[in-house]
Amino acid sequence: MTTYTICIFTENTIGLLNRITIIFTRRRINIESLTVSETERKGVSRFTIVIKHESRDEVEKLVRQIRKIVEVLAVFGYLNDEIVFNEIALFKISTPLKSKPLDVETINQHYKAWVVYWGLDYVVIEKTGNDTDIFDFFNYLKQYEILEFVRSGRVAVGKTEKGLVEYLPEAEWAYYL
Amino acid sequence: MEAIASIKPEVLEIQPAPTYINGSQALLMSLLAEGVDTIFGYPGGAIMPVYDALYDYQDQINHILVRHEQGAGHAAQGYARMQGRAGVCLVTSGPGATNLVTSIADALIDSTPMVCLVGQVAKKLLGTDAFQEADVMGVTMPITKWNYQITNADEVAEVISKAFYIAQAGRPGPVLIDITKSAQLELMTQPFSYEKCQTIVSYRPRLVPKQDQLEVAAQLINSAKKPYVLVGHGVQIAKAEDELQAFVEKTGIPVATTLLGQSTIPTNHPLYVGWLGMHGNYGPNVMTDHADLIIAIGMRFDDRVTGDASKYIKQAKVVHIEIDPSEIDKIIRADAPVVGDAKEVLKALLPLVNKNDHTVWRNEFRKYDAIENEVITEPALNNPEGKIRMPEVIDLLSKKTNGEAVLVTDVGQHQMMASRYYHFRRPNSLVTSGGMGTMGFALPAAFGAQVGAPDRQVVAIIGDGCFQMTLQELGTIVQNKQPVKAIILNNNFLGMVRQWQQLFHQRRYSFVELQNPDFITIARGFGMDGQTCTEREKLSEALDTMLNHDGPFLLEVIVEKEENVFPMVPAGTSVSQIRLS
Repeated sequence: MTTYTICIFTENTIGLLNRITIIFTRRRINIESLTVSETERKGVSRFTIVIKHESRDEVEKLVRQIRKIVEVLAVFGYLNDEIVFNEIALFKISTPLKSKPLDVETINQHYKAWVVYWGLDYVVIEKTGNDTDIFDFFNYLKQYEILEFVRSGRVAVGKTEKGLVEYLPEAEWAYYL
Repeated sequence: MEAIASIKPEVLEIQPAPTYINGSQALLMSLLAEGVDTIFGYPGGAIMPVYDALYDYQDQINHILVRHEQGAGHAAQGYARMQGRAGVCLVTSGPGATNLVTSIADALIDSTPMVCLVGQVAKKLLGTDAFQEADVMGVTMPITKWNYQITNADEVAEVISKAFYIAQAGRPGPVLIDITKSAQLELMTQPFSYEKCQTIVSYRPRLVPKQDQLEVAAQLINSAKKPYVLVGHGVQIAKAEDELQAFVEKTGIPVATTLLGQSTIPTNHPLYVGWLGMHGNYGPNVMTDHADLIIAIGMRFDDRVTGDASKYIKQAKVVHIEIDPSEIDKIIRADAPVVGDAKEVLKALLPLVNKNDHTVWRNEFRKYDAIENEVITEPALNNPEGKIRMPEVIDLLSKKTNGEAVLVTDVGQHQMMASRYYHFRRPNSLVTSGGMGTMGFALPAAFGAQVGAPDRQVVAIIGDGCFQMTLQELGTIVQNKQPVKAIILNNNFLGMVRQWQQLFHQRRYSFVELQNPDFITIARGFGMDGQTCTEREKLSEALDTMLNHDGPFLLEVIVEKEENVFPMVPAGTSVSQIRLS
């Protein structure tokens, strides 16, 4: 199984998320993570969808099926080495009186994670990084009581110098400025 | 005070606030602006404001009241196929919309342009499980090319123009517009204006092919020793019949068609070799294994054409001419993909290809034709005894109509027999449900086709099973005085399923035998003439009676109960394993 990151640029309309995910479910492809946000262009949304698949051919077909949706402007399928990617995780750690003190120095300097909220008897730690970084940190934190753990989906940008603008004529791109 | 009193009274008069038209009127004006003159529909609660507005437009828009929304959908498909532009249907929310679903799925897979206008509950009721509320957007998302919900009267014109553009541009398909009752009733806040959609930033299908793709394709075509053209529905959708003929006549390449590609080229054209697929002709199927170059035009390598795709045309290079880029490499990898409209591609390709003849190669097809003729066709057509067989009926019909009728077929044995034995002479003459295989398609689609092509003879070929799925549309045909001729080939069986049960399930005939009603009495009940033919000697006369009848006519022909359609490529096997008996 290879991990693919599919970046989809679309018009921002109601129901599009559904239209896109239908293409995955119909082919029984499980979505590992999914994030959506507006891009640097007004009215253009960017979906980042991570899937695992054994066949590159099938992923290419999937990309073409997504491209077929009327509101989709462009679709790119990437391997991990073709993108810079990250995700964010939040850990809620129990810190009652007399419990083992947190080693904030290690957390900050070794794991590059930060305490972002102090509750009465807990703290929230934020960690960004790729999935391996986050799981390393998760393993480190197991020595404490983890009350909650949540990871965001992956966000990614391609390593090539091309932006989306390369795939749309300038004149029409101006429509979204 | 003096000064005020001297102001003229008319200056003081208060100007009334301008009133604009409502969403329903805007919808009808948009349809008129789009050139729509025919709508197939069925009223109901959530679409009543549109029907109220329609009352004032009866002289400009011919609304046809069907008997079931599925009939509206198939009629719009038949109409669209004849007219080469979007068919329009108008139905209410909830069950009205869900009844349309089968025809929408059918239109998507067979690339038929259709605009479905569907009522919806008022905006403030959305999501409350209101009366006749269904999530039609959700239901139709996977089976439409595009769908949109209008919740505001000001949106109507822009959305309708987009709907027609999307339905008809590139690879055509169905578009559904869900219109809330509140949007139908509320007044616009600005004057109505309509601008026809010319392009959409995010959807710009390529029509004119890239030069480099053409050159690679031309090189393969010019160097091939055994090239073979496979023509799909796309050529007729692009109205590229003349360009196709010019191309094959210059290059001397033999042509086969898919089921929906039939009638693209006259069956008596010297380069036409037959049709492909599970029940297609012997030679055209087998010869795909001998070609060194396959030129696929406007077709998508459906599994009924390829059989086991992993064994299909492995020895050949492939030129795939297709308007939908997602079809390239989907089933069969293309060595030379050419993305573009079939008409544009063939026009551009013509000067790049060399004149050729390929006589020896073409003659190889003929030896298979001789076998098929001897083993299947001749015995099917010449049997003096026993019950009438389906091929005889189609063959005789073909002769009597000079191959110039529009044949509208349902799904099953009769569909395959119609394709096998009708000799098409004119383009755009077969309307059938190919990809979806929708039983019940033919009667409403034949009605729609007749409305769309009033100058042509439309004959529906229907099985006894299929007929009972949509027979209520006889009422629509009679009420609208359309001279549709319908032939029921009655074998008292769901024949194709029975054939599979015979061949692959040891004759375990599981729920395929029908106790049929008296079809002619039913037709008469609807006010339609008809007759039953049981004897071979009377078949010719019966067909004449039907064809010469002024108005619609139902001819029931009692045929051999357990006839099989051959040749046959059993499902999942390769085309080389085609069976002749």
